[in-house]
Amino acid sequence: MLSRIAESLFWIGRYSERAEHTARILDVHVQRVLEDPWLDETSAGRELLAVMGMPAPDDAAAADSRQVTELLAFDPANPSSITGAVGAARENARGARDVISSEVWECLNATWNDLPHSEELARRLGPHVFFRYIRERTAMLAGLVDATLARDDGWRFLILGRSLERVDMTARLLSSSISEDPASQSWVSLLRSCGAHEAYLRTYRRAVDAARVAEFLLLDRLFPRSVYWSLSMAEQILAELDGTRREARFTVDDMARRIVGRARTELEFRSVDELVDDMPDLLVSLQRTCSTVSEAVTHRYFARNAPRSWTIEVPA
Amino acid sequence: MADLFEGYASQATQAWDEVFEAPDTPRPLYASLYDALRPLSSSDLAARKAALDRAFRDAGITFNLFGEERPFPLDLVPRLLDNSEWDVIERGVTQRVRALEAFLADIYGRAEVLADGIVPRRLVLSSAHFHRAAHGIDPPNGVRAHVSGIDLIRDERGGFRVLEDNVRVPSGVSYVVENRRAMTRVFPELFATHRVRPVADYATHLLHALRAAAPPDVADPTVVVLTPGVYNSAYFEHALLARQMGVELVEGRDLTVRNNNVTMRTTEGDRPVHVVYRRIDDDWLDPLHFRPESVVGCAGLLNAARAGRVTIANAVGNGIADDKLMYTYVPDLIRYYLGEEPVLANVDTYRLEDPDQRDHVLGHLDELVLKPVDGSGGKGIVIGEQASAAELGVLRLKIEADPRGWIAQRIVRLSTSPTLAGDRLGPRHVDLRPFAVNDGRRVWVLPGGLTRVALPRGSLVVNSSQGGGSKDTWVLASPESSRESISPRTRPPGNVPQVADGPDVGPFPSCDQQQQQQQQREGRQPQPPPGRPQHRPGQPRRQEPGQPWQGQPWQRQERQGQRQEPRWDQSEHGQPRPETIGDQARRLNGPAAC
Amino acid sequence: MSWQIRIEHSTGYRYAAPVISSYNETRIIPQTAAGQLTLEATVRTEPTAATYRYWDYWGTQVTAFDLHTPHTELVVTGRSVVRTAPARPGPSDGPDWQALADGSITDRFVEFIRPSRFTTDHPELAETARELAARHTPAEFVPAVGEWVRQRLTYRPGTTGVHTSAVDSWQQGEGVCQDFAHLALVLLRAVGLPARYVSGYLHPSTDATIGETVVGQSHAWVEGWLGDWWGFDPTNGVPAGQQHVVVARGRDYNDVPPLLGVYSGGASTSLGVTVAVTRLS
Repeated sequence: MLSRIAESLFWIGRYSERAEHTARILDVHVQRVLEDPWLDETSAGRELLAVMGMPAPDDAAAADSRQVTELLAFDPANPSSITGAVGAARENARGARDVISSEVWECLNATWNDLPHSEELARRLGPHVFFRYIRERTAMLAGLVDATLARDDGWRFLILGRSLERVDMTARLLSSSISEDPASQSWVSLLRSCGAHEAYLRTYRRAVDAARVAEFLLLDRLFPRSVYWSLSMAEQILAELDGTRREARFTVDDMARRIVGRARTELEFRSVDELVDDMPDLLVSLQRTCSTVSEAVTHRYFARNAPRSWTIEVPA
Repeated sequence: MADLFEGYASQATQAWDEVFEAPDTPRPLYASLYDALRPLSSSDLAARKAALDRAFRDAGITFNLFGEERPFPLDLVPRLLDNSEWDVIERGVTQRVRALEAFLADIYGRAEVLADGIVPRRLVLSSAHFHRAAHGIDPPNGVRAHVSGIDLIRDERGGFRVLEDNVRVPSGVSYVVENRRAMTRVFPELFATHRVRPVADYATHLLHALRAAAPPDVADPTVVVLTPGVYNSAYFEHALLARQMGVELVEGRDLTVRNNNVTMRTTEGDRPVHVVYRRIDDDWLDPLHFRPESVVGCAGLLNAARAGRVTIANAVGNGIADDKLMYTYVPDLIRYYLGEEPVLANVDTYRLEDPDQRDHVLGHLDELVLKPVDGSGGKGIVIGEQASAAELGVLRLKIEADPRGWIAQRIVRLSTSPTLAGDRLGPRHVDLRPFAVNDGRRVWVLPGGLTRVALPRGSLVVNSSQGGGSKDTWVLASPESSRESISPRTRPPGNVPQVADGPDVGPFPSCDQQQQQQQQREGRQPQPPPGRPQHRPGQPRRQEPGQPWQGQPWQRQERQGQRQEPRWDQSEHGQPRPETIGDQARRLNGPAAC
Repeated sequence: MSWQIRIEHSTGYRYAAPVISSYNETRIIPQTAAGQLTLEATVRTEPTAATYRYWDYWGTQVTAFDLHTPHTELVVTGRSVVRTAPARPGPSDGPDWQALADGSITDRFVEFIRPSRFTTDHPELAETARELAARHTPAEFVPAVGEWVRQRLTYRPGTTGVHTSAVDSWQQGEGVCQDFAHLALVLLRAVGLPARYVSGYLHPSTDATIGETVVGQSHAWVEGWLGDWWGFDPTNGVPAGQQHVVVARGRDYNDVPPLLGVYSGGASTSLGVTVAVTRLS
């Protein structure tokens, strides 16, 4: 697999996951603002922007859900907005078009082609249309990735990107709710934005409370959006990528593998109480883990010291 | 009766028409196509056209025009060629490719053609396309034009003539492949009545030719397609060919040359590359020998080819053979190298550096087509009869200043073919670019090729960058020829494939069960399985998606629960399934009707 | 009497920032051709690189190499031993002007008659050439052009560069051997005399002591076609002889650069050229 293509696939995974997650988060946010009469719309909006790593708008009041939606959904210049992420994923797919299946490419390309239409529809009928469109298309993409890509290194890099992004997004999401009252409705919103509400209910069969939500989203061994599950996935893929290269009997010398493995064990052997106490630090460190792993993977698999420009020698 | 061809005859030109031999009388070749198209309404055609454009855009079958991605316009009326016409084209194209190959091998070697005075030395040696850096590079199997595109037109009398040769990096073959795929979807009924020779195996032939061109000491050569990148106007084609050949699509920055060994950077380290099917022009290919500012090329590639460690396809320096001035000598080259008479004639052409011919041309500028020798994409072409006096004056000065920079050709009225314009079909001018692949033993010509159509009425310029579209080109198999010789997949008649049984079908509730369940639904709630939160009657149901509170799956589970150890997977291990009521329905045809 | 000369030519670059990748071609190995025999030749680079040799379109031996280890200095050294022949007098039985104008000659030598990148034509120079040609046979014309060039140009290093055209140096009135050769080529070609650019080395003294190593120089002169190629050195106003070592021939400097390369890294400065020559016999 060409390094350049591997990198593209990795970022297709990251960007498509980002688009999906952002759509889920925004959908819940908008709905919550509508449903909860006591919620301060602008402070919730500013909080959300902060969680997504966006600078708050200068105007102190300007973070109502319409503006938040503009910034996080429709701003094409921002690679963390939905439109931006879909565009970036599509651009990466364009360069990797000969490697991904044509169905995966067509799905991404058609999604991108239809964004303006969908956006326009959202402006008339409310943003939910747009969020649902994104959720459906990303689900379709995931399905096509599952159904049409061989489980080769290309697929591995895509899934690795997706898993890391998922850890990052879930960590960001959790940190937005940390300060909330343990019985707050916002924990339900949190679960719903991870698509985890039903799974949570089926697992715990009781009302939502903060510690369990954190436990579920961080530690659940079976739910595919939990941080633990995503980290395990990333770890497994990194091991496969590493293992196809060398039979290692002793220490793991792949940096990315070590970091992910450590983060996973950190979570694995933690009690729920510890979890709640250490949560702020833990979440920040999870986000950092993602960046570090991303860098390590880039360094090992994608790094190109290829010359990008040539200079002609000054003749003697 | 308003049919699609209404008013077509009144727009007829002096050119040969591909479909009609006389007003409202189609040629026999087109009879069944005509009958099939005529009853269609224009809105039907428009709907099919819209579906097509949409499919093209979603698949990214586009070209870049001024930075904008546009779908390549495909006209829905195919262009047909019968077997005998195709035979002439195939022989003519093959002959031309063989002559151009011989010329290239000669000119970058001993240059006997110059010593023998067939082609003036100054014509070659002063050409910008004669790359001295390519001198002495001997391709392993002798092939330099692995892929060629020979542009043909049909003159007023119906004969094919060569308009231009392309042996550098001819593009457009992806449209041939994709046009066909699209047409089979949009017009399936037409394919039922025509036996069209397939074009889908182009990539197979290309890969075969590229592998055959690899350095001889490589047992299992690695082929790559080298693209300038996603912003190139033909990027779609590069990706398509790489995908269909199953090879890597690389950019210059993915390649490294060390000590004449070419490698590509992969996640598993550097991997050797033996054949580079490059879709980059010579000038940008190797910054060491050509433009040093090139970042899309690969430094050292040319010397790696010289050292015989990698094959560049098409070879560097091929531009000397498809130079517009050299074109006028190709019939002579065919006689010189092959000892044959040309199968396909050239368009009557004047060389302006010859004073007599120049005088004639300057006296008849308004009747001729003037082409800049170095132009591509139709830029700079002046069609005498459409130019103003002022434009002709400017042209005259340009020619006098640089006679070698121009050739003049008689205006040939390209044949016309019915093309959708508005809601009717109108005659539009078309050409044809067949593609030839040379594997060193045989020149194979893709049956069909790209028919380009000038969409504006009366226009003779068919380039896609100048408002051209395309048509699917059908070479009809002759009734007697059985199948393509290259596809030995013929199955003996009467041989029905053997299968074990129809696909397995899962259990299905019997009619009785369904009726009972329906009654239950109206009357009382079904018992949820143990371990589920009880749903209290009277309380509104949560209607969240994905919650298996009600519906088929649930009821099936319930029924399962009545049996001991239901194991649905057992049948897959060859053990008999537990007999269930649903087993009655285990038939190919699904559940029995109530 | 033929000479045997040993030449050691080194040249190179220093880079402002480490270069991670570079591709180069050198043309510093003397030719074996009429009147000259190359007995030994090696090219070495520092940092060391594997070299690849081939003969280019013009018949020059090219040594190509690429480097992939970071380096801040590149030095290329060519060592060779060459046997040279003494100068020949200009042929007396060569073609006259009419014979040179024949189509077979103009076609055969078209590359050496047409203007090239550094030898573009100029009406005033063409006029001068026609005046000189009117008074001389082709064989006399070549030295006459050399003499005219010597009168018009002052030899002054550092005032022109490798990319200075003949016309520029003529208007400037000064230059080095390369400019002398280019300007001579413009005049020779202006009247249809096939003429080519020669690059090589020059041993500075006519009566060199055997075994003594002296400072030589990279040099350039011209050859005109007088029924056969005949070399003349316009810088020194002499026919090319045993002091002249031929490395490459072409239309002008552009066809024969001694060191040519592309690299990726910081700005480069030339280390200059040093040539040491020793007459061996």
